[in-house]
Amino acid sequence: MVGLSSGEKHFIRGGIAQDLRSDGRQRLDYRPISVEVGIIPQANGSARVRLGATDVIASIKAELGKPNALQPDKGKVSIFVDCSPTAAPKFEGRGGEELSSELSVALQRCLLGGKSGAGAGIDLSSLTIVEGKICWDLYIDALVVSSDGNLLDALATAIKVALSNTGIPKVTVDLGTSPDDQPEVDVSEEEFLQFDTSAVPVIVTVTKVGRHYVVDATSEEESQMSSAVSASVNRHGQICGMTKRGGAGLDSSVILDMISVAKHVSEHLFSVIDSEIAAAEAAANS
Amino acid sequence: MEFVNPLTGFRLDGRRPNEMRHIRGEIGVVANADGSAMFEMGNTKVIAAVYGPREVQNKSQQLSNQALVQCEYSMANFSTGDRMRRPKGDRRSTEISLVIRQSLEASVLTHLMPRSQIDIFVQVLQADGGTRSACINAATMALADAGIPMCDLVTSCSAGYLCTTPLLDLNYVEDSAGGPDVTVGLLAKMDKVTLLQMDAKLPMDIFENVMQLAIEGCKAVAQYIHEVLLENTKQLESRRGK
Repeated sequence: MVGLSSGEKHFIRGGIAQDLRSDGRQRLDYRPISVEVGIIPQANGSARVRLGATDVIASIKAELGKPNALQPDKGKVSIFVDCSPTAAPKFEGRGGEELSSELSVALQRCLLGGKSGAGAGIDLSSLTIVEGKICWDLYIDALVVSSDGNLLDALATAIKVALSNTGIPKVTVDLGTSPDDQPEVDVSEEEFLQFDTSAVPVIVTVTKVGRHYVVDATSEEESQMSSAVSASVNRHGQICGMTKRGGAGLDSSVILDMISVAKHVSEHLFSVIDSEIAAAEAAANS
Repeated sequence: MEFVNPLTGFRLDGRRPNEMRHIRGEIGVVANADGSAMFEMGNTKVIAAVYGPREVQNKSQQLSNQALVQCEYSMANFSTGDRMRRPKGDRRSTEISLVIRQSLEASVLTHLMPRSQIDIFVQVLQADGGTRSACINAATMALADAGIPMCDLVTSCSAGYLCTTPLLDLNYVEDSAGGPDVTVGLLAKMDKVTLLQMDAKLPMDIFENVMQLAIEGCKAVAQYIHEVLLENTKQLESRRGK
């Protein structure tokens, strides 16, 4: 991104203070979201989300694996984000690793819950096949193709839509004669079970610029932020995870205020995502 | 395995031996980049983004009389059938980055932009054989979109030889069959080859046929890219209100 002059910085901050941002939005408005599903045919589920000029692709692959010894009745999910150098030249080589790790961990925190698997947005116990022996390993891979701010929200939306598009193949299990035998699993090519995504949360990032909060900041606005709070909210309005970024310290009342703004905005975001998923599925089926 | 049906002459995906896969190109897919393009050859889908000419990031590499062209090739985790663990930095990616850079450097008029840097980033979204060629084609379109002066369009296509038949534009299954795979990069109007790679072995006379087939493929791609760029220019012109 080209550097901003002090006049431009002043314009951005002034616009936000007067509830009229550079692209005409109000402080709590999202950019138009466009969603495509099923764009990666060889994956179990995939989605591409465009939030203004931010463009991310999420793909979900399910492979057979062995469950964790501490949680034998749960499957495993791993989230991996890759920032493509097409988004910005600074992501060349290993330049994008820091941002990729930050985004991966933030998404894991918001979607996968605690170490025991409690409170996860994705129901891990639906991924077991044979308790203690075989489970589904879900690999969620996200790619940032183009970046214009608000990557976390776009990624969480893409993952949610990709999960709604994901079909886990039906398996028939042959347990074998003794309990120590490795069971034989026959993975069906034809039948798929749709993943239940009603509990999957979305992430809303609230960015503080000056004395006001904006939602869905562009990268120009993010360059002027003092701090940002990303809260993951589920359909019932419960907070599933939280991350604060930025160097400035925040008063605790301000943080609580930002969280309540995130909750309020998440309702609108849920309805937009639901209608987009329905439209995409209708387009895919027709 | 029967790559070419002896009765009908069709390949595994229903194409004839001298038929290319369906190609599709689109300009301006990455808003932040100076130039960008998406190119599909069958199921192979790649995005190229060009940043430049801009100031050289590493002053020690600066060239006083021409532009520095750099290229990076990376594959997405989900691009291949089995999930890949390392998206970039492995030897194949490094080699392909070098190959793309050299092919395009032959065409970019670098002497017009001394002491600057042109970055070409190619991202493979879906790999089904011929990723090298798709990347070069996408990069050419992205350079054109960025307005970087070039002496000609660089296009690329691959060809192989299976079941005693030269085959144009191999997909992944045909490529992994173990037969020869000839990749050609061509300066289309000037009819000059900038890239030629082959693996496995071929007798000389058959090699000439296969290479000629690949060159025909390159020319067909160049024709298509030319049309897409022309259409894009017309749209820009109409937006200017002329």
